[in-house]
Amino acid sequence: MTVKNPSSGRERTSGKRRAALLACCAAAAALTLTACSSGGGTGTTAKDGFAQAPQKDGALTVWVDATRMDAAKLYQQLHPEVKLDIVSYDGDANGSNYLQTKVQLFNRTGKGWPDVVFSSQNNEASWAVDAGFAAPLNKGLVPADTLGKFAEGANNPCTVDGTVYCLRNDLSQAVLWYNAPLMKQFGYQLPTTWEEYQALGEKVAAEHPGYLVGDAGDSYTPEIYLWASKCGANHITGPKAVSVNTSGEACTKMAKLMDTLITDKSMSISGVFSTDFAKNQADKVLLMPGPAWYGGAVFKDTLKTPAKTIGAAPLPQWKGDSSPSTGNVGGGTWLLSQHSEHLKAATDFLTWVTTDTAYQGEKAPGFPAHAPSAEAWLKGQDASGYFASDLSALKTASSQVWNGWGSGQYSQEAIWAATVKPGMTQGKTIVSMLPAWQEAIVKYAESDGYKVSS
Amino acid sequence: MNRSARRPVRRLTSRLLVGVALAAFLVFFVLPVLWLLLAATKTDQQLVHGNPLSFGSFRALGDNWHALTSFQDDAVMLWLRNSALYSVISLAITLVVAIPAGYALAMTEFRGRRTLLIATLVVMLMPNATLVVPLFLELNAVRLIGTMWSIILPYAFYPFGVYLTYIYFTTAVPKDLLAAARIDGCSEFRVFWHIALPLATPVIALVGFFSFVANWTNYFLPYVMLPESDQMPIQVGVGTLLSNVPSFNPAVGSLAIERPQLALATLLAITPVLIVFLFAQRFLVSGMLAGATKE
Amino acid sequence: MTLTPSRATSAGRRPRGAAPQGWAGTAFVAAYVILLVAFGVLPTAYAVYFAFTDAGGAFTGFANFVTTAKDFRFLDGVGHVALYLACWLLSLVVFVVALALLLHRLASGTVSKALRFLFYIPGALAGAASVLVWLFMLDPTVSPVNSLLSMLGFHTFGEVIAPGNLPVLFTIIAFWTGAGGWIVVMYGALNNIPMDVVEAARIDGAGPWQTAWHVQIPMLRKWIVYMVILAFAGGAQLFVEPQLLSQASVGVAGRDYSLNQLTYDFAFQMNNINGAAAVSVELLVVSVSAAAVFVARSGFFDAD
Repeated sequence: MTVKNPSSGRERTSGKRRAALLACCAAAAALTLTACSSGGGTGTTAKDGFAQAPQKDGALTVWVDATRMDAAKLYQQLHPEVKLDIVSYDGDANGSNYLQTKVQLFNRTGKGWPDVVFSSQNNEASWAVDAGFAAPLNKGLVPADTLGKFAEGANNPCTVDGTVYCLRNDLSQAVLWYNAPLMKQFGYQLPTTWEEYQALGEKVAAEHPGYLVGDAGDSYTPEIYLWASKCGANHITGPKAVSVNTSGEACTKMAKLMDTLITDKSMSISGVFSTDFAKNQADKVLLMPGPAWYGGAVFKDTLKTPAKTIGAAPLPQWKGDSSPSTGNVGGGTWLLSQHSEHLKAATDFLTWVTTDTAYQGEKAPGFPAHAPSAEAWLKGQDASGYFASDLSALKTASSQVWNGWGSGQYSQEAIWAATVKPGMTQGKTIVSMLPAWQEAIVKYAESDGYKVSS
Repeated sequence: MNRSARRPVRRLTSRLLVGVALAAFLVFFVLPVLWLLLAATKTDQQLVHGNPLSFGSFRALGDNWHALTSFQDDAVMLWLRNSALYSVISLAITLVVAIPAGYALAMTEFRGRRTLLIATLVVMLMPNATLVVPLFLELNAVRLIGTMWSIILPYAFYPFGVYLTYIYFTTAVPKDLLAAARIDGCSEFRVFWHIALPLATPVIALVGFFSFVANWTNYFLPYVMLPESDQMPIQVGVGTLLSNVPSFNPAVGSLAIERPQLALATLLAITPVLIVFLFAQRFLVSGMLAGATKE
Repeated sequence: MTLTPSRATSAGRRPRGAAPQGWAGTAFVAAYVILLVAFGVLPTAYAVYFAFTDAGGAFTGFANFVTTAKDFRFLDGVGHVALYLACWLLSLVVFVVALALLLHRLASGTVSKALRFLFYIPGALAGAASVLVWLFMLDPTVSPVNSLLSMLGFHTFGEVIAPGNLPVLFTIIAFWTGAGGWIVVMYGALNNIPMDVVEAARIDGAGPWQTAWHVQIPMLRKWIVYMVILAFAGGAQLFVEPQLLSQASVGVAGRDYSLNQLTYDFAFQMNNINGAAAVSVELLVVSVSAAAVFVARSGFFDAD
């Protein structure tokens, strides 16, 4: 249908077009070249366990989320001589993969990496090591003495093959939150074993229907209950290897406990952040197993529970289990870039932000991973007068996080939310969905390149 | 007699049906927006416990405004400014580039016209996810990463507008009109400037409006391209706010932003679009061609 | 109608006419061509190159296509997208055209104008901005339409977002945001239908429905085809709506729902841009094939 009517004018245009086409090809070739030369390589020195870029003066680029903005600003205030470029981003919230996306692009262009990054996810090491982004920290950059002062196991999610690639900002160990006046009013004792916990749950259902001993409706529910129960659903055994077994006794007995209480309606399946919970169940909380940050983020801020009401106790244990264990829900991490041209300043910042009591002890919203800072932080919480008990249960729990549950590249929370949660809404039992859960974990792990065993 | 008696009844029922249908759709489109408007006047507690369609209080609205503007030292205003800057500059480039292109594709014959139409359509249909990496590398190669041009230039490429113009001219402007002008000795440029362009007011308004909205609401490109947080446009800003609301991101840890504040930010984000719409709508109503066309 | 005959007749009369017009056309599109190549053709070509190579740049044939098709989410994604496309295309074409015609028929210009504005408002609410809105609309505990939801048998948010309801929910969300813009376009197009044509039909005894069906809709053909092409591609590339619902439900519904979400996963979570490109190319091929069918059957490219 095109009209063929060649004229001298057209000849010239097509000649020009050919030239333009050639130019494009050249540009494309140039792009391809840039794409292949992924960063660094020239002029690096091997030191502290990695090839370091030539060091230069200049501003230190720090990426933080809105909450950690205060930390960076405080550092600037206390260290006016340091040139800081503070960039705020979403902190990789909800697995936004922002950091990973940008690092992939920077790896292609060979520049642009931030020097220090905060991430609200604790599984960043699972890709940041492969991507050549995270610098090893225990090979010279950060003294062993400093690293030793973190709570036991705090930096496990950051450790790949014995090398530490990030530092934990805060811990999210699970404890048993409780409503002290209500417990007293009902005349109940705090359960110390899961058996007692279940019995109490059934009793509450009978004596005070509507009141709750827990919630199982959040995406991180498995990390509170099944992790604490030592369920082998997520045992990272190597850099790219995981063992998944959801049918072990540790899994089934906890799932059964939850099913019983859910049937009794003393365990909610709404999720503590849902509007349903806020509207209908906020004042019905008697007990609530949950991570360290529940105290502030859930009770104080979201549910607006009055002061002197909420206390924290150790999470129940299975009867006869000699090694107490608990789960963990999140907790941010700080990473340092291998490509940094200001390693000294970057290391200074990293060390300060994770260990200095000026921030971690006094300002940080979450339970500090660094043990001495945590002491100071707990004192501050006690002094605030909000809680009905001291928070020493948090400190005890901080070193009891079971190490058989790892931080893979795939999101356990997303898998649970998409696989198990819809079934719970339809009234299926958790026990009946354990096989489907396992199948889903295996599929996601395999598609992320993990070798899966069971 | 029977027929003529039934007729008004039928017309009445048909009118009623039309009225009901339009009203139903009106509720569908407007109710969520109304809810959003009211949400900004409530406290977080009221949002959950109160009647969904009740007014909160001006006091709460004021508090929300205060809390929102104090987020990262008035970052919201900065985001709005950035959005306006990016959207307006790329809108200008889009109009200068797309209108003549759409006109030429519709009203003139040149070699490669069909190729151009096909190429435009094909790139318009390409999923975005994989284009980001090439775009980033390309802009890096010409050293534009980090500047506002890294998003303005990709925004300015607006194939959708080229097609709108193209279809407008092929369907609404008779070719004879231009042919007559050409025979009268007008140069191609004068034909375009003095005859085609005045006839194209509705489509210019349409392209301008859609381009502005597309630029204003784009999230992913600035999210990936821009390295500094003070370069972010409002859409990315709203995303940041969202990730600071505990119900959308349980792990955020401390309550920085409450849902009514997010609602308020959303309202701020859409207001410019609605103003531009009202402005553009004045030109969209045309009918100016009705007389000129004789076919 | 093809162009050849008219060119043939005019060529003789305007010997100098043809070449300048060709030149002028080229000049008018020149700036656009630069942008098209830089931000359209080049990135697309690069993405296609990605699809057929591996991370090191070596040619791999269809290996990326095979690997991605074997991903456990792929077939589900195809099914989801197909179902959604059916709901989405049907509702968009029927309701947009019908609403535009109804608005155009309204006697009062002010009411019609106001309605177009009100129908459009949701179009301004994009992405993150509407997460909040839909969470509260679809959650029976706090929804303004909770009576409607409970009439349909939904009592919790979890029941509303059950997997079976998703295609309908995504259609509703997409229609809510997208329809207003198209209504404006169609309305504008209706305005450009000469009054006398409609008038003539009326004098011939055609009622409003017949006029719409036999006169107005045929004259909107090109606009409708354009809308269908873009709506098809947009639907096949479903991304925003499931992503939005996934954020609102903290991952319960909508994650890994569509193929395009899978491309984002490949590209930015699994560091496999080549796999992502392969899926993108597949989506492109599907959209272009659909477009080709519509274009061929409608004479869309004819400059008549």
